Amino acid sequence: MQRRTFLRGVGAAGLLGTLPLASQLSFAATGPVSVNQLPKLEGDLTLYLGRGEGGLYEKVLDAIKARNPKLNLKIRRGGTAALANTIVAEAKAGVRRADLFWAVDSGSVGMVTDQGLAQPLPSDITSLLKPGFQYPRWSPVTGRIRTLPYNTQRVQPSQIPDSIMALADSDLAIGWAPAYASFQSFVTAMRIMEGEKATKDWLRGVDRNAKKYAGELGVVMGVERGEVDLGFANHYYTLRLKAGKPDANVDLAFTNNDAGCLVNASGIMALREGDLPVNFIRYLLTEEVQSYLASEAYEIPLVDKVAMPPGLPPLESVNPPELDLRKLADLRPTLNMMRDIGVL
Amino acid sequence: MTKWPKPYPPAFLIALLAILPVGVLVSLASDSAQLFDTHNLRVLGNTLALVVLTIIGSVIMGVPLAVFTAYVQGPFKKLWLILLAAPLALPSYIGAFAMYFSFGRGGEIETLTGIPTPPVSGLWGTALIMSLYTYPFVMMTTRASLLSQDASLVNASRLLGLSLWRSLWRVVLPRATNSIAAGALLAALYALSDFGTPAIMGLDTFTRVIFVEYNAFGLSQAAMLSLQLMVIVGLVLFLESRVSGAKERPGRHLTLWPSHWQYFAMLLSALPIVLMAIVLPMAVFTLWLVREGTGGFELSYAWNSAYASFLAAIVAVICAIPVAHAAIAGKAGRLMERITYFGFGVPGIVMGTALVYLGLQLPFLYQTLGLLVVAYVLRFIPLAVGSVRTTAENLDSGMVKAARVLGASPREAFMRITLPLSLRGMVAGAALVFLEAMRELPATLMLGPTGFETLATYMWRVYEAGYFGRAAVPGLLLVVLSGLGLILMLSGESRAEFTLSEDERR
Repeated sequence: MQRRTFLRGVGAAGLLGTLPLASQLSFAATGPVSVNQLPKLEGDLTLYLGRGEGGLYEKVLDAIKARNPKLNLKIRRGGTAALANTIVAEAKAGVRRADLFWAVDSGSVGMVTDQGLAQPLPSDITSLLKPGFQYPRWSPVTGRIRTLPYNTQRVQPSQIPDSIMALADSDLAIGWAPAYASFQSFVTAMRIMEGEKATKDWLRGVDRNAKKYAGELGVVMGVERGEVDLGFANHYYTLRLKAGKPDANVDLAFTNNDAGCLVNASGIMALREGDLPVNFIRYLLTEEVQSYLASEAYEIPLVDKVAMPPGLPPLESVNPPELDLRKLADLRPTLNMMRDIGVL
Repeated sequence: MTKWPKPYPPAFLIALLAILPVGVLVSLASDSAQLFDTHNLRVLGNTLALVVLTIIGSVIMGVPLAVFTAYVQGPFKKLWLILLAAPLALPSYIGAFAMYFSFGRGGEIETLTGIPTPPVSGLWGTALIMSLYTYPFVMMTTRASLLSQDASLVNASRLLGLSLWRSLWRVVLPRATNSIAAGALLAALYALSDFGTPAIMGLDTFTRVIFVEYNAFGLSQAAMLSLQLMVIVGLVLFLESRVSGAKERPGRHLTLWPSHWQYFAMLLSALPIVLMAIVLPMAVFTLWLVREGTGGFELSYAWNSAYASFLAAIVAVICAIPVAHAAIAGKAGRLMERITYFGFGVPGIVMGTALVYLGLQLPFLYQTLGLLVVAYVLRFIPLAVGSVRTTAENLDSGMVKAARVLGASPREAFMRITLPLSLRGMVAGAALVFLEAMRELPATLMLGPTGFETLATYMWRVYEAGYFGRAAVPGLLLVVLSGLGLILMLSGESRAEFTLSEDERR
């Protein structure tokens, strides 16, 4: 597989076959649609949103609501994994409440699509997405990549190992947010790729030199202030910080072909038949929403021909691992392990 | 065969409903294979450690303050009493929220003053916060007992040569032991069932782990943990029922008249408690309000809170009336009343787990406001029963008899005599239920309808997302509401031991 080409304009061909239910269809990407071309949304719609309060997703949803006054959108918020579990449990009990599920990681997406609960999407939706991100039953919305933000005053790039596992043995002061969902997904990935024992040793090793933060924005800010040398965080936190403070003492480093540079995608699926949920998904894939999430949230747009977020460093050299992201849904052993070691 | 008194059938039904959650949990837990594992053992250890530390902390703070508020005479006595009792009314998660973001590296205190502070978290952090918000239980029960003690024994011991401190220690406190224990057990009960504080502080107690299991939809595991927690709660409740205040001979209680500087020193030593428990949260929320404004907050959250709590208050009182009257009517009725008290001991997180499962079996109830109101009613009905019963008991039965003699049917006598006269108790009971429901967090989080955000659940979302500045408005609103609750609690008749007056009530 041409993993190396993955982030070259986020071609992502490397993920073909590794993401759940990877589509073998290869539509010619047609480019983004504008909201003005979309039908108005009318009626009742219940969205399970795997994201807490205050994110930029909220602004997107507000904008959609403002554009469609006849849409009665109800939102149930919660942890992505918790909501995926809820949807599965509801389906088992024969209760269906959600029309749409917007998850922030593909592990949870896999959990729901594996149960056959997601409705097929029309091909004109899937063809909007970049090749490699076209799936028959769910649509990726944006992508993110695990990175190592480091303090440019305290560390030289050459001091940073290009293997995530080697960081456990280094003496660099590390900032992390063990309670943060993305971090836990990353540990899950490590567990799957390197095994239980190696992951435990890694957690113990990093814990020696680690400082805990509540979230990964906190990690990046801690790195920038020089409280630690480097940290673990999703790429967009660093980009957002640098956007607000161009001379910030922080830059991004990537590991090579391991959990440390894992790529993950948020995704949405329709859980009820009918045009309304599908049309709602169309709104998230418009030029406007995708550009907004790219330029404001610094997430990687997954609709083809939408400009990449500004400030993302040249990524040709980045080499993300091949991993079936569906396996990331297996979070429980990770949490138990982190608790046993005492980092959570 | 004797005829059942009128209120028995409905009271029986309500009692049956009250034990329903436990029945659900038992059936749910029987699917589960894991009875106990090592992780579970650690959770048990954490929970017990928290309970023990909370008891120690609340006694250390509560007993001296009880002596101070009961015996020491000085200016603004009542004000100090209210201030020192105030943490009782605040939900401890408010305190946990404020301290979590104030202390530690990058916390508000360091940001503002540059003084680094250690983080408040883990077992010690949780125990500190629990103690700060539960010592009033100890203070109030102990104070009531101290007020009931005749001072002549102390005077005798002073005459026989003991110093004041030694006579307090050897003559006064031993007679208050039972009341101290009663208060400490209430504090323990609170520590066992609270969800928000250990969750925010990152301590794996039963309530936090139940929530984790619920999020993973390991409902049967959550039910198993809930039952284990209920066993401990049951044990504490049992101990509490065995602790009874000793009868004291009536007499004037001790009064102490310290000099100005002594009084000042006493106040000064109590100050840190008030600062930490009340001033800090209010200051932090106000700071955030000034800095970040009211962004993100919608009035509908407050409205939703009030609406659901109002419904719960009305339903709770309607259900409480037959239960209270059944309790007065006879022995079987008293048993039914006891059973409804059960709900108060059921932690919100346990109630939530049971009712989520019930909702999945009865889809017409799932994610409805109705189910949430049921949860509130089951948990808080004892508050309503207590108030309704007290007023109904104090009712002169001669009046009902007179009405009957004058030709009124039992129904008419109830409608025209009993009901209007017990209205005050009903209103007080409804208000207590309303305020408790407003602040309830875990059951609301689990059972609320989609899109139904309340003040408490919004605080939780804000905490999860780390946008703590947005907690300002809901936080302050909850503090204000809790203040109202305190006034009600101190003036109401429902909790005789929590009284501001000087007369002994027990």
